[in-house]
Amino acid sequence: MEVTVEVEGADEFATTSYAKICQDTFRDLGVRTSIDHTYLYINPQEHLFLISVKIGRVASPIKVRDVTQPEIDKLKITDEKYAPKLLAVLWDAYGERVQQVGRLEIGLKLTDKETEAVKELIVYDPREDLIARILDGIDRILPEGARVRYPIPSPERITIIASENPIGEEWKTRAADMLRSIETNV
Amino acid sequence: MFEGGVYKFNELKELVEDLGGFIIQELVMQTDTILHMAFPVEDEREIREKVKELGGKLIDLPLAGTEIMIVTPSLGKHHAVNPLCDIGEYLRRKGAITNIMGLARGVGKRIAQITREEKRIMEECDAVIFVVGNFRECIEAKLNIFEVINVPYLIVGGPPKLECEHYVGGIGRRTDRMRRKEEFDKLEEMTTKLGEILDEKRKEVEEDPLAASPLFIKELIELVIPPIPGEELPIVIHIDGLRLNIEEQDEPRIRNIEVGKKKLGEICEITKSLYKGYLLKILPEAVTGSVFY
Repeated sequence: MEVTVEVEGADEFATTSYAKICQDTFRDLGVRTSIDHTYLYINPQEHLFLISVKIGRVASPIKVRDVTQPEIDKLKITDEKYAPKLLAVLWDAYGERVQQVGRLEIGLKLTDKETEAVKELIVYDPREDLIARILDGIDRILPEGARVRYPIPSPERITIIASENPIGEEWKTRAADMLRSIETNV
Repeated sequence: MFEGGVYKFNELKELVEDLGGFIIQELVMQTDTILHMAFPVEDEREIREKVKELGGKLIDLPLAGTEIMIVTPSLGKHHAVNPLCDIGEYLRRKGAITNIMGLARGVGKRIAQITREEKRIMEECDAVIFVVGNFRECIEAKLNIFEVINVPYLIVGGPPKLECEHYVGGIGRRTDRMRRKEEFDKLEEMTTKLGEILDEKRKEVEEDPLAASPLFIKELIELVIPPIPGEELPIVIHIDGLRLNIEEQDEPRIRNIEVGKKKLGEICEITKSLYKGYLLKILPEAVTGSVFY
């Protein structure tokens, strides 16, 4: 992920620290690999912030075979992080024929054909909540006082301007201009 | 501070008391013991020898006997857990009792404010640390809302330098723990500065001495209401008073404790804390007269 932080009227400290905050926040939320470019504009004098995130490739869906190891009439969970989602998916598909016998063991009463099919079931698709996670990240990056938000729609990017004061037309048009110049440059 | 095992640990306590010192705080966790104590400087050698005999460690605590409030604009993800808890932990290691407080409307630049009740809660403590963010402009705008606080305060923020007397820079908003050497140096710098402003307050108290020392009153209270084993911090020492975690029905008993020839109620202002327990503010000797005549 590439991060550009542009600061108007603030010192160098704010620039470097916010670049780090961007990187770390998106990494904590596990969306760093899905973001191509982040642009952050900070103007503390007028208390105005603009963040624009370009979404890139999304990781492929996680299937049952990625998080379990098949045994005879059993599935052994190898990645416990996905255990609740895995159980929900299996129960939805096979109902009472699926039983959790131990912390990391799932008992199955399935036909041979079903046993093959079960491995291809999708446990979790990162695409599902990608936007929600990116928005959560944006919320954590922008200063808490900047509660007035205004989104600028564009096909490839999520762009939000934020301030503690009402956002006037002047800033909305200026932000749209900024967005155009980012899109042509990146 | 004594850090060691429980073996013969009572002997150390008795020695401190025999020498005219006080136990500020005692914490026994299974076999580990932490003891905050105050004793006359000339007896340090004797105490050190005893500690060595018990196989423990003796650590100097510059902030012992103080209660510090760490205030942040909010308790959201932006400020907690980092660096708020790092600051709190470091101060506790230096002997202070710390509280963490998030303001109701402390965020932002123009919109930031401190309510009257928040101000009163902050003023119950010996000193306040304001943890702020990374923008110089925002911190400068907030300086005037911090000015109303009537206890010593320190502002801890991001920009390395700021035109403010009580400011320590280089901490600010963070996304990770403070565990590198230069970050510890920053925390140390903050503690030193806090120690300085607390020393100023101590000096003020020395110039106009209190009717009795908070440590002395703590011992008297413990004779009347013995601490419940396992209870955390029943009595917190302040520079000019105490915070007591007592039930409401015990208040008259506290007022009637005899300190020399006077009652505790006569030499202290006893008020219910907005935050926790009761507050005892010890009046100066000049107001109450000596407790011994």
